[in-house]
Amino acid sequence: MKQLVTSLYNQAGTSYKKRVQGIGTYGILLAFIVICVALALSTPRFLTVSNLTIIVTQVSINALLAFGVTFVIITGGIDLSLGSLVAVTGVVAAMFAHPDTFPLIVPLVFALGAGLLMGGFNGLVITKSKVPPFIVTLGTMTIGRGLALILSKGRPISNLSDSFNFIGGGKILGIPFPIIILLIVFVACSLLLRKTIWGRYMYAVGGNEQAARASGIPVEKIKMLVYMLSGTLAGLAGLVLTARITTGQPNAGQGFELDAIAAAIIGGTSTSGGSGSMTGTLIGALLIGVISNGLDLLNVTSYYQQVVMGVIIIGAVILDGLNRKAA
Amino acid sequence: MSAPQTYILQVSNLHKSFGGIKALDGVQLSLQRGEVLALMGENGAGKSTLMKILIGLESADSGEILFEGKPLKSSNVKQTLDRGISMIHQEILMVPELTVAENIFLGRETTRWLPGWVDDRHMYHQTDLLLAELGLTLSARTKMKYLSVAERQMVEIAKAISNNARIIIMDEPTSALSDKEVTTLFRIIRDLKAQGVAIIYISHKMEEIAQVADTITVLRDGRYIATKPAAELDKESLIALMVGRQIDQLFPEATTQKGETVLSVRNLSRAGAFSDISFDIRAGEVLGLAGLMGAGRTEVARVIYGLDAATAGEIFLKGQKVAVHSPQDAIRHGIGYLSEDRKALGCIPGMSVQHTLTLSSLARFATWGFIEATNEQETARRTVSELHVKTSGLDQGVMQLSGGNQQKVVLGKVLLANPDVVMFDEPTRGIDIGAKHEIYKLIRQLTARGIAVLLISSELPEIIGLCDRVLVLSQGRQTALLSGQEANPERIMQYAVPA
Amino acid sequence: MNRLSAFSFFLLSTFFLTNCNQSGSDTASGDKPVIGVTMLSMQNEFIVNVSDEIDKKAEEAGVELITVDAERSALKQIEQVESFIAQGVDAIIMNPCEVEASSPAVAKALAAGIPIINVNSATATKPSAFVGSDDVESARIAMKYIAEKLGGKGNVIMIHGYMGQAAQIQREQGAREILKNYPDLKLLASQTGEWDRAKAMSLMENWIQSYGSQINAVFAHNDEMGMGAMKALTDAGLKDKILVVSIDAIPDALQAVQKGTLDATVYQNAKQQGSQAIETALKILNKQPYEQEVLIPFQLVTKQNVAEFVK
Repeated sequence: MKQLVTSLYNQAGTSYKKRVQGIGTYGILLAFIVICVALALSTPRFLTVSNLTIIVTQVSINALLAFGVTFVIITGGIDLSLGSLVAVTGVVAAMFAHPDTFPLIVPLVFALGAGLLMGGFNGLVITKSKVPPFIVTLGTMTIGRGLALILSKGRPISNLSDSFNFIGGGKILGIPFPIIILLIVFVACSLLLRKTIWGRYMYAVGGNEQAARASGIPVEKIKMLVYMLSGTLAGLAGLVLTARITTGQPNAGQGFELDAIAAAIIGGTSTSGGSGSMTGTLIGALLIGVISNGLDLLNVTSYYQQVVMGVIIIGAVILDGLNRKAA
Repeated sequence: MSAPQTYILQVSNLHKSFGGIKALDGVQLSLQRGEVLALMGENGAGKSTLMKILIGLESADSGEILFEGKPLKSSNVKQTLDRGISMIHQEILMVPELTVAENIFLGRETTRWLPGWVDDRHMYHQTDLLLAELGLTLSARTKMKYLSVAERQMVEIAKAISNNARIIIMDEPTSALSDKEVTTLFRIIRDLKAQGVAIIYISHKMEEIAQVADTITVLRDGRYIATKPAAELDKESLIALMVGRQIDQLFPEATTQKGETVLSVRNLSRAGAFSDISFDIRAGEVLGLAGLMGAGRTEVARVIYGLDAATAGEIFLKGQKVAVHSPQDAIRHGIGYLSEDRKALGCIPGMSVQHTLTLSSLARFATWGFIEATNEQETARRTVSELHVKTSGLDQGVMQLSGGNQQKVVLGKVLLANPDVVMFDEPTRGIDIGAKHEIYKLIRQLTARGIAVLLISSELPEIIGLCDRVLVLSQGRQTALLSGQEANPERIMQYAVPA
Repeated sequence: MNRLSAFSFFLLSTFFLTNCNQSGSDTASGDKPVIGVTMLSMQNEFIVNVSDEIDKKAEEAGVELITVDAERSALKQIEQVESFIAQGVDAIIMNPCEVEASSPAVAKALAAGIPIINVNSATATKPSAFVGSDDVESARIAMKYIAEKLGGKGNVIMIHGYMGQAAQIQREQGAREILKNYPDLKLLASQTGEWDRAKAMSLMENWIQSYGSQINAVFAHNDEMGMGAMKALTDAGLKDKILVVSIDAIPDALQAVQKGTLDATVYQNAKQQGSQAIETALKILNKQPYEQEVLIPFQLVTKQNVAEFVK
C-alpha cells in the first residue's frame, strides 16, 4: 500500500521544494486515499463511475479557481476577489447568452475578458501602489460584487441558450464538459508552472522577491501575469457555473475564494510563497469535493458536516507538515 | 603545565553524530580563567556543533565536559546560562521593540510589590552602571531597534556580564563591525580577561586572532588537530593546520594583458549615499573599491547594477552610454553583480543548485517560453564542475550548501549571463580560507577571459593582493585612485579615514 | 478672512436649519413625512421586489424614504435603526435579518417613540405592526400539495435554507406538521442548500447517487434551491418521476412551472407586503386605526393557474 502511494505520488509530481530536496512527501495524497477508502467501505454508492464523475464535475469550479490562486500564492500574493469575479463574469456571460441573440463566442470572450481585466486591475494596483495584495483584492472583492449587482440589477439572469448551457451540462463521449475543461486547464497550468521560464520566475518571486529582482527577473510583470491568470480562470469558472445552473447570478460565488485558497494550501502550497504545485492543488480540491460528497451520501447533518470538514482540513495539513519535518 | 584545577573548562574526547555524519570525532579543549582561546577551523570543522553542546542547545553522544571541575550535563540553555556560560551569536537575538535594559534583563526581571510587577528603576540603574563599566555611551532606555549592529553586540556582551558569565563565547563578533568598533570590542575583551572571564573566540580573520588570542585550538573535519600559544603560530602554519595542506600562494599572480575600457562611470551620484564618482575599468583589470563601512562602496555598485536609481551621472559600457533602471537592464548590458548579502539578494530558498545557476540566463534555454531541460541541465552540470561547487547533485537545495559553495553558485548565476564586467561585493565574507582561495583564483580566471572586475572588500590584504588599481572612498566621495604599486594598507587607510 | 467666516456661518446656519427642520417634522403635519427603511438584503430578488413596491407606494403617497441595505447583518441593521432614530425619522419599516438578533432594533425604536413596522419576517420583540406572511403556512401549502400528489405515500427530500434563519425554521416547522399527518410519507434526507442554486444542485446530485429512484418528491425552502434540484434531476433523467416543489414564485420558477419542469411553487405576494407596509405606516402616522398584524395570504402556483402570476 505504502509503496503504491509513494509511487503514485512520485508520478503525480511533488511540490517544488520537496522535489528539489529529492524527498517525496505524500501526506495529502495519503489522507485523500484514506478518506476515499473509508468512504468506499461505509457506502457502496461512493465508488461508482457515476458518483465519481459527479464529484469531479462539482469540483471543477473550485479547482479552476484554485489553479489560479496557486499561481498567485506561489508568488507570495493572495487573491480574495475570486468569488466576486465568478459572479461578475457569470453575469456578463449570461447577459450575452440568451438564445438567438449573439453567437456563442461573444459571452465566452466577454466573460474571460472581464476576468482578465479585473485580474489585470488587481495586478496593476498591487505592483504600482505597493498596497498588500490582501487589501487590494479585498477591495476588488467588494467592487466585483457591486458590479455584478449593478449589471444584473440585483436579479438573476436566466433563459440562456442551449449551446451556452452545454459548457456546464453537456457531455462529450459521456464525459461532462466541465471535466474536460478541468483536465485541459490542469495540464496547461502544470506545464506553465513547471516547464516555462515564467513558472520558474513565479517560484523565484515568491521565494525571495529581492533576489529575484537582483537576478534580472521582471518581478512586476510576473505579478501582473499571475493576477491576470487568476482573473481569467475565475472568468472560466464563472462561465462553467453560469452554464451549470443555467442562470447568471449576482450573488453566486460567495466564499468561493476561501475554498480555492483552502484547496491550494491543502495541496501543499506554502502561504509564504515559493512553493506549490498544480497536482497538489488538484488533490486538495478533490479532497474537499470528496468529503462534501461523502458526507452527503452518508446523510450527515450539515451542522456536523462543517465540523468534519474543518477537522479534516486541519488534520490533512498537520499530517503534511509532520511528513515534511520527518523528511 | 599548570594544575588541572585552574582550568575553568575541560572538554575531552567529545563525539557527536547527526544521522551517520560525524560532526565531532574526539574533540578536546581546555580553557583557563582569563584566557582568550581562538577556536579555528574551516566551515564544517565542527566549531558550531561544539559551541552548541557547550551552551546546551545540543547534547553530546559521548565524551566529558568539566566545568569548574564538575561534569556539565545539561541540554538546557537556561541552565548553562545560569552557571555562567554565555554566547554572543553571529545573528543577534534580541527584541527590537524593547529597550536596552529590558533586553538585558529579559527573562529575569527583578520584581517588587506584586508578582510580575517589574522594578523598572532598579533595572535601568543596574544597566546604566553596567554600560558605564564597559565604557559605552549608550542609554539604557534606547529601544534596541535604533542601535547599530555593533552597539547591539555590546549590549549582548553587557547582558552576558550581568548574567555573571564566567565563559563568553563569541562567534564571528567582528563580521559586521567597523575598525573603530573592533577596537572597542578588543578593549572590552581585555577588560573581561583582567576580571578573570574566559573567552572562546571564533573567527576567520587571522589578523584579529593574532591581536586578541592567547591560545589557538584548531579543528578540522570534526577532529581535534592542535592547540598552540598564539604567539607560536604564524599565518602560513595556521592555514596549513586548518586546511591540512599548504596553500602556497593565497593570491594568485595576475598574468593578463589589459584591454579596452569596458565600464566607465562619470560623476555618478545618489543623494544621501555618494556623489561625483568617476572611474574606468579595462578588460582583464581588477579595480578595487576600498573604504570604511558606510563610505558608499556597496551603494555605488547597487546604482550601477540598477538596484537603486542614480540622481546624477552617466554610465558607459564599451563607450556606449547606457540607461540602467533595473538589474534586468544591467544584465542585458553585460553587468554582473555578486552581492555582499548572499541570503537576501543571491539565493532563493527552496531553489535547487541548477535552478539558481540558470535564473539570470533562463531565456537562453527556452523556446517559446518552454525550458529545454537537457540544455539547462547540461549547462548547470558544466558550471558546477568548472567552479568546483561541492554539492550532492544539481537538485540539492542551494541553501543547504556551505557558505563558500553558495557563493560559487551565485557567482555561476552571474557568469552564465555572460557579463563583460562583474562587481564583487565582499565576495569572501564568512567563508573559509580554502573557499576564499578558490574565489581568488576564479577572479583571476575571469580577468584572463577579458572580463573587467570591480572588487569591493573590507579586507585590505584582499584589495592589495588582487587589484590592479584601488579607488578609495570616504564618506561618499572618492579620495584617491592608487596604482597597484602605490596601494598599501597605510596609504589606503590614510585616504579612507575621514579628514 | 471675512469671506471665510461668512462662509462658515452659512454652513453652520444651514446645518442648524436643516437639523431643526428634521426634528420639527414630528409636529409639522404639513411636511413630508420621512420613513426609514432597512431591508435584509438587496441581493435577494424577492426582497428587491418588496423594496421596489415600498418605493412606488411611498412616491404615490408623497412620503420621503431613506432606504438602506442591512446585507444580512443584524448588527448592521441595529446600527441603521439607531441612525434612523438619530435622524429623527417619523416611522421605520424593517425587514428583519434575524428573529432574536434584530429585536434590539425594535426595542430601541419603540423606546424613542418612533413606530416600527416589521415587513416579511418577524422579530422576538413585538413591533408596532407586522406586515407579512406566515412562513409556516407557506410550507404547509407546499407539503400538502406533495402529499396529495403522492397519495399520502412516498419518500420526500427536504432542502433547507440557511440553518437558523427565521424563514428556514418556520418552513421546516410547517413541512413537518404536514408530514406528521401522513405517516406513510417518509422524510428520506434533509440538508441545507444555503438558499443557493449551485449548492442545492450539487446536493441533489449527491442524493441521486445515494437514493436514486427511491426519491418521490423534493421540497426546497426557496425557488433558487428548487431550480437547482430540478436541474440536477433533469440532467440525471429523473425529473419525470420526481416531484419538485419550492416557495417564493420568482420569475424563473414561474417560467419553469409554465414549462412543466417545476411542479409547483408558493406565491408570496411581494407587492402586497410592500404596499401594506407603507399603508400601515401612514395609518399610524395619521393616528388612524390600524391592524397590528397584516397577514398576506400565500397562493399555490401550479401549471393550472400560473398564467395569472406571470407578468
